[in-house]
Amino acid sequence: MKAFGITLIIVLISGSIAGWTAPAGSDIAVVVSRDVPIDDLSFSELRKILLGDRQYWSSNLRVTLLIRAPAAREREVILRNVLEMTEAQYRQYWIGKVFRAESSSAPKSIATNEMAFSLLNSIPGSIAFVDASQVPKDLKVVRLGGLLPGAKGYPLN
Amino acid sequence: MKSLIIAATLLFVPAHPLSAQQQRTTQTETIETLLARIERLERRVAELEGSKVQAQPATQRTEQTQVPAEALHPEVAQSASEGPSLKMAGFSDFNFSGSDQKGTKSGFTEGQFVLHLNSNLTQKVSFMGELSLTARTDAGGGMPPVTGFNAEVERSIIRFEHNDYLKVSFGRYHTPINYWNTAFHHGQWLQTTVSRPEMVQFGGRFIPVHFVGGLVEGAVGAAGLNFNYNFGVGNGRGSVISRGGDAGDINNSRAWLVNMFIKPDKLYGLQVGGSAYRDKISTGGRDFGEWISSAHVVWNRETPEVIAEFANVRHENLTTASPVSNSQAYYVQTGYRLPVFDKRFKPYYRFEYIHIPRSDFLFQSPVVPNLAGSVAGLRYDLTSFAALKFEYRNQRRDPGQPRINSGFVQTSFTF
Repeated sequence: MKAFGITLIIVLISGSIAGWTAPAGSDIAVVVSRDVPIDDLSFSELRKILLGDRQYWSSNLRVTLLIRAPAAREREVILRNVLEMTEAQYRQYWIGKVFRAESSSAPKSIATNEMAFSLLNSIPGSIAFVDASQVPKDLKVVRLGGLLPGAKGYPLN
Repeated sequence: MKSLIIAATLLFVPAHPLSAQQQRTTQTETIETLLARIERLERRVAELEGSKVQAQPATQRTEQTQVPAEALHPEVAQSASEGPSLKMAGFSDFNFSGSDQKGTKSGFTEGQFVLHLNSNLTQKVSFMGELSLTARTDAGGGMPPVTGFNAEVERSIIRFEHNDYLKVSFGRYHTPINYWNTAFHHGQWLQTTVSRPEMVQFGGRFIPVHFVGGLVEGAVGAAGLNFNYNFGVGNGRGSVISRGGDAGDINNSRAWLVNMFIKPDKLYGLQVGGSAYRDKISTGGRDFGEWISSAHVVWNRETPEVIAEFANVRHENLTTASPVSNSQAYYVQTGYRLPVFDKRFKPYYRFEYIHIPRSDFLFQSPVVPNLAGSVAGLRYDLTSFAALKFEYRNQRRDPGQPRINSGFVQTSFTF
């Protein structure tokens, strides 16, 4: 009976702690394919890219947006911190954008970060947003307003 | 033992009032934990696959790593294949309406069935088309006319893109001299309300809704102002002024237009712009000069949403001496996405006004009737791709005439 009581307390304490603490996530890195001639983006430039208002890095290099599929933390951070949109608003925005012929295609939905890394290596001009702790060293991480992931004030976390 | 039970009870009690919130948090954490676990497993699979690939000869490795990318990204595969890939989407809606206007009947109506086609011919050349099927009481042949559907090519545009600053296109457009006309097109689901403002009503005459010709467009940063432009030349209105010059212009005078707007970085969600449109209209054996100037201010963040537009249409009779006329129309629409119920509800209100002076020979009532009216409603987003809208309208055509009250229910969606 005593053991049962102790177990009950441990379960309740651990349950309470789990209920009160929020999971900490690392920063979201902005990663581009090697051929993208940019090392630093301003926050407003990043927003324009995500809104499809900027579609070219240069005349010969088109932006290809790779966004994690719904429910991924990377996508949630981008929608909340950069676009200030809900998932539904984001979907409606891009359906409207393509319907208005302002963009010939919507962003590519990527199921995993590994898939994003693979596509960054194979699609010229591609840009993806992934957990900074998972970015392989051979990929190009872009500064955001002069800051790299992990720096104080980095806006994607 | 007693003290243990009391301690356990004390631990449990403070948690109880927060149980709903805690449950939600716990669910979110569980989902996040599972997603993290899936990712870990996927990483592990990728590592294992990677080690398998490294063990193979270099030539085979190249083939293996290229295949998934092509499979995941059709354009990559497309560049090496035989033809363009066509994507199709659609919009439609169903309505129920009732009105106290004499002679009208309440009932259900089918909205337009709209198909949207999109195809990337190369990285820089794309085509888009929009086809509509519209239910009409007189679309079928025979006497008396029977109901049916009218098919129409609403938009058909081929675009060549040099970069963000310069894009050239040819085709049939929704004339870009008005915000609503180019923001929502025939997708009723995209717009907040059941109806379009009357100044841009399909089949209406106040503004030429369609334009056949060529457009040059682009956008420049302009120190954070994000300046966008359209220059267009094409066939203007047809001899029936609600129609565009699809089968050729009706005179040797092309219509032209300029449309400019800014979207400042510092005021995310704001769009301010204006347009000018010039055409020569030939109808009923007379020629008229038409000059349209318009302006719009839009705040599209939904908390609130504000769309305000104004247009002045100036007509000058070029055949006989008569006074120049100026007809005006404007509307102001506001909406607000409520923060409750998962942000699914959006109440809205619109006031609209059209004034046609008696001197405007082309627009004289009943061609373009005067209007002073309000629209109030509620949009409920059933899902991310379907909405239910309830709308009340109160309109008066001319001073002294009775006001007309109408009610509408619409379900609109994309597929």
